Amino acid sequence: MRRLRVLLFKEWRESLRNKMVVFGVVLLPLFLVGISVYMITLGEGIGDPTASIVMFNTSLMYFLLLPTIIPLAIAVYSIVGEKEQTTLEPLLATPISDLELFLGKALASVIPAVVVNWLSFGLFLAATRIVVGAVPLQALTAPWLASIFGLSPLLALFSVGVTMLVSSRASDARAAYQFSSFAILPGLVPLIVYSSKQTLVDLRLVVAEGAVLVVLCAVILYLAIRVFRREQILTRWK
Amino acid sequence: MIQAQGLTRRFGTRLAVDGLDLDVPRGEVFGFLGPNGAGKTTTIRMLAALIAPTSGSAIVAGHRLGEANREIRRRVGVLTETPGLYRRLSARDNLLFFARLYPVREPERQVERYLRLFELWDRRDEPAGSLSKGMRQKLAIARALLHEPEILFLDEPTAGLDPEAAKTVRDLIEALRSKDRTIFLCTHNLDEADRLCDRIGLFRTRMLAVGAPAALKKEMYGRRTVVHLASPSPGIEQALDLPFVTKVERLDDRLIVSLADPDAENPALVRRLVELGAEVRFVNELRVSLEDLYLDLMEGRDAKA
Ligand SMILES: Nc1ncnc2c1ncn2[C@@H]1O[C@H](COP(=O)(O)OP(=O)(O)O)[C@@H](O)[C@H]1O
Ligand SMILES: [Mg+2]
Repeated sequence: MRRLRVLLFKEWRESLRNKMVVFGVVLLPLFLVGISVYMITLGEGIGDPTASIVMFNTSLMYFLLLPTIIPLAIAVYSIVGEKEQTTLEPLLATPISDLELFLGKALASVIPAVVVNWLSFGLFLAATRIVVGAVPLQALTAPWLASIFGLSPLLALFSVGVTMLVSSRASDARAAYQFSSFAILPGLVPLIVYSSKQTLVDLRLVVAEGAVLVVLCAVILYLAIRVFRREQILTRWK
Repeated sequence: MIQAQGLTRRFGTRLAVDGLDLDVPRGEVFGFLGPNGAGKTTTIRMLAALIAPTSGSAIVAGHRLGEANREIRRRVGVLTETPGLYRRLSARDNLLFFARLYPVREPERQVERYLRLFELWDRRDEPAGSLSKGMRQKLAIARALLHEPEILFLDEPTAGLDPEAAKTVRDLIEALRSKDRTIFLCTHNLDEADRLCDRIGLFRTRMLAVGAPAALKKEMYGRRTVVHLASPSPGIEQALDLPFVTKVERLDDRLIVSLADPDAENPALVRRLVELGAEVRFVNELRVSLEDLYLDLMEGRDAKA
């Protein structure tokens, strides 16, 4: 697994020098945190406690979307980027195993997605405290915390799996981006449920979505591992 | 170092490499010469354990293909057709990344050694994308050497380089020659193969001829006699029935006659042609360069027959 670590650090070093990736991983989360805090101050301004809570809940949705959006840029560039630079073949000529390559590419996106999401969440809570004075703790319920801490790694994994599959077929980053965007759909489910039922997200829903995601991830990862084999990469990829 | 028997690769119905037999000893620079689409890259990919042969077998660096692929990858270095460098990473970081994927004992030291050797040390911190084509190619060759491979596969190392850069790379390859390092050089450049290689294999899907450049040339030099006829004399090439003549071709009013020993056999050849009613204008020797041989083979004509 030494090679896995070597590959991970290479991915991150490269990502940090790519404006598109830095935008997706750093600026977009900051932007969403900014919007959230702004909405909460608007809610406070209305002076109605339920309005504040609605605003707070809506903001929390971002932290289910972010883990699906953040890895898109990293995953697209880490696959399509290798293709465009024709670095895949020299990489495959090394003793790295197919699984190490796959894991390296997957974790290079999943880890920052989860970490940045949680950091953004922390930043959001801190900023809310500073701007509004207090975090409405009654709104920060167990289902929310379970979603943000339990579902987000699964959401990120799903998004990365889809993006890796799409990217193996795409020859340019933009196309890969567009096709991969539907990977954010699972992150939208709580939002849809929330706005249609007008209820707070409950724990059963979180568990159910978690179970569905585990199955989806297993399927996607199974497919992706099959696609990430030397023979496939060199002879079938576009 | 490389032994292959009947190595074959198909892509669907397309046959890319057909029954390749190879025996390349340690320390040899072997030129694998063939036009675009001949199957050179496919051959390298098979021998470097990147893709599996459809059939056939090979032992590369002492290990059997398909049984010890990772071990083979550890022992061979590949310069791929395109340099394939991470443009955003510095020259040094590109090499360090690869050095760390191999069992290289002191990656930093080894990377520095090769950067200095290839005169890239001063540019080590520049992104690989900003280097000239020639430098990128040198960097890619350095990358293929970092783990001191027993076999170095070079896939068209000078293709797409300007003449000056191509010369630098060629000199570099010349300097890499060593008794412990086998070099398998793919090229479609005949001159390059002639200059750098101990032996050349002419290849187009199939191996057409193998030999030292000089032997390949000698096989052809002076072995054909051109007979210029004063009148076309149709059918005379079929009528020519001498035992030492291996082949007769007609080109307008010329007969190109293949024979083993022109010095001894030309008089008998001319006598027989005259008997057959030919009006011989004059006779000369066909000078065949390696290039003619190559073109002959590549056009599918069997020059040996
Ligand atoms: N992945 C592939 N799928 C289908 N055909 C291929 C593939 N790779 C190579 N070929 C075919 O195999 C033949 C040999 O290709 P290649 O080994 O690249 O030749 P060379 O390197 O000598 O130019 C060509 O006809 C090429 O079209
Ligand atoms: Mg080729």
